[in-house]
Amino acid sequence: MGRPPWWGVLLVLLLLVAGLPGAFAQPKTTITIWYPAGDITASAFHFRDPTLFLPFEVAHNVKVEPVALVYDTMQQKIFAAAAARDVADILFVDQSWVPGFLKEDMLEPVDPAKARRWLDSVSPEMVELSDYGGGKMFGYPQYGIDVYGITWNKAHFREAGLDPERPPQTWDELRDYAKRLTVRDAAGNITRVGYAIRHVGHPHGVVHKHLWAIWAAGADLVDNPLALKGGQPKFNNPAGRAALKLVHDMIYVDRSTSLAFPDPRAAFLRGIASMQISETVSIRARQPREAPGMPWGTGWGTALPPVPKAGMRPVTNLNAWMYTVPRQARNKELAWRLIEWVNSEIKDYELAKRFEATPRFKANWAKEPFKSDSYAQTLLKMYPYGRKYPINLGLNGIMDALGAAIQNAWHNRMSIEEALALADRQARQAILDAAK
Amino acid sequence: MTLPSSPAGRLAPRLSRGATPGAGGGVSRVLRRAYRRHYFHAYLFVAPVLIAFGLFRVWPAVQTLYFSLFKVELLRGQLTFVGLQNFADLVGDAIFRQAFVNTVIYAAVIVPVAAGLGLGLAVLCHEPFRGREVLKAIYFAPMVTSTVAAAMVWWWLYNPQYGLFNVFLRLLHLPTSSWLLSSTMALPSIILFSVWKTLGYNMVIYLAGLQGVPQEFYEVATLDGAGAWQRFWRITLPLLAPVTAFILIYNGIFAFQVFDQVFVLTGGGPANSTNVVVLELYRQAFQRYRFGYASAQAMVLFLLILGITLLQFRVSRRYEVTY
Repeated sequence: MGRPPWWGVLLVLLLLVAGLPGAFAQPKTTITIWYPAGDITASAFHFRDPTLFLPFEVAHNVKVEPVALVYDTMQQKIFAAAAARDVADILFVDQSWVPGFLKEDMLEPVDPAKARRWLDSVSPEMVELSDYGGGKMFGYPQYGIDVYGITWNKAHFREAGLDPERPPQTWDELRDYAKRLTVRDAAGNITRVGYAIRHVGHPHGVVHKHLWAIWAAGADLVDNPLALKGGQPKFNNPAGRAALKLVHDMIYVDRSTSLAFPDPRAAFLRGIASMQISETVSIRARQPREAPGMPWGTGWGTALPPVPKAGMRPVTNLNAWMYTVPRQARNKELAWRLIEWVNSEIKDYELAKRFEATPRFKANWAKEPFKSDSYAQTLLKMYPYGRKYPINLGLNGIMDALGAAIQNAWHNRMSIEEALALADRQARQAILDAAK
Repeated sequence: MTLPSSPAGRLAPRLSRGATPGAGGGVSRVLRRAYRRHYFHAYLFVAPVLIAFGLFRVWPAVQTLYFSLFKVELLRGQLTFVGLQNFADLVGDAIFRQAFVNTVIYAAVIVPVAAGLGLGLAVLCHEPFRGREVLKAIYFAPMVTSTVAAAMVWWWLYNPQYGLFNVFLRLLHLPTSSWLLSSTMALPSIILFSVWKTLGYNMVIYLAGLQGVPQEFYEVATLDGAGAWQRFWRITLPLLAPVTAFILIYNGIFAFQVFDQVFVLTGGGPANSTNVVVLELYRQAFQRYRFGYASAQAMVLFLLILGITLLQFRVSRRYEVTY
């Protein structure tokens, strides 16, 4: 083998020298953020914007790297990565996962002084979502929080002779409206459901979408939702059974909903469901892309879910995605600095305005465009009726058990009584395990 | 007889020159040393594979057995000895029982059906006809396709509103199905997918087996007046017994470990109707963080597969044919 040509050596040297400044100019540290991919939460879209963290990156000479994970396996991946001490610096997580992470002592608490300042400055619903007892915080809820509401297709309402500005207020009305809105083909097969339900997939998702009825009937996931440990499940009772029976009757008696339909949000946006109850912010974010002919206000509306009987107080889910820092993070200090930057009052206003989301700070709610935006104001009126998920460390197991019970009952694999009794036993065990 | 290539064979002339007659212990010592020296290189060559196998297969299996006796808290780094408690808890676990039953049903259906259809296709493709190679390629393609990618396509095929299966049923004026969304149809739907996925592999193995069956047997049988069915029943099937045994064992082992398609198509639902043991232990480990309990489930599955495989070995030996 002969010697390499002199020009070849020179070229390699030149390339190396040319690359040196670039190599030195690279940020020293990379801060990773794991967030859910796809449409699972409206606010996750924002991480795809390459300019989102740019000012912070420039100011601190760091690189912020958001990494999208699939929702259904995200919780498991986080846990496995934390066990392997190779987890992201910041986790953007569903709030219903937080108790499971706390059970494993996985999350860093927010500095108490900063937590106090935050709780003093944000709106009441945000205080409820942020506080884990006695002003203790484990992360910051994102702007554009999820409040669940009934969404309805106004064109379908008109078609069925219903008032397009008046959604069902009670469970009886929900059943009546759903029957009138259901469309069948010549063979009698349902081609459009009056009300779409979630009955498959992650058990947590199934619970999320039916909790409004469980709560409204007077049942709950646990008897003391604000206690981290102990307590008893509170859904195996007449109220819990009534909540499951409502949809069971719609499937098998009224035939106004069906197990053959996909995720309620997808069904609603595809026009094959007239009503559904889920995250309103998600519908707001997806509708312009997926159902451009059905704009907010004239095409679809949102309101609080119906109550069992007229005069009862409505109740719905209030859920947030949260910025948290795992104990195993490599760059904790920078991670907290980034979280505090993105959750500051100024950035809250700037980002909520840019992404058409609702702000968190009281001061920002008083500013335009939020002050006069009809959608934001509708949500603001719904917030006081929102309830956050219990913080019990056994929540994971409780949700798994109840999610399976709902599926067992609606798929007629068990009676409602049997399904809830089984879930009750499993939830008790989960609470016991978590308290150990 | 000593093979010329073996160390003993090659050492024989040297020993006859150098070793003292009557010194039996010395000879065997020299032989042993020569053996060791010879096989040292062989072990050296297989060492990387052995190390990788030990690290990524044997060690995790041993650790799973160990963890099954503990309450494992990985994040805190704590192990609490619980003896056989995890196994005792399995007995009363209704969800595990259901996952176990689903797994057995899945394996009991897919293994014989995929083997039977594979044999049928192999016999068909063994005969010369136009387009035979294309047909073989079509049937083998699912085998080389990623399970997850294929399952995503089937997920759409099963869609009750837009899926092709229901479109065809509607065209034929037959009642449609909810497929994966129905708690009664979901498991059969997954089985159908798995049969489609496994069929090509079984066909190729059977084809290889068919090529090993001597033609003279068929010629003699034909001369004796045996029909096609008799030739298949009396010659093909018995002579393919070792191949069948291999397919049943191989497919059986994988059927009991089914995970990917269930995870992608249904996630174990609706209402746990498609939950299987591997999915359940995955959930226990990574959703409920009960690694000890999940390890106990893995051990039960291991024992089940071991037992069934040994049984299959035993039964298949009875049908071994020498020709």
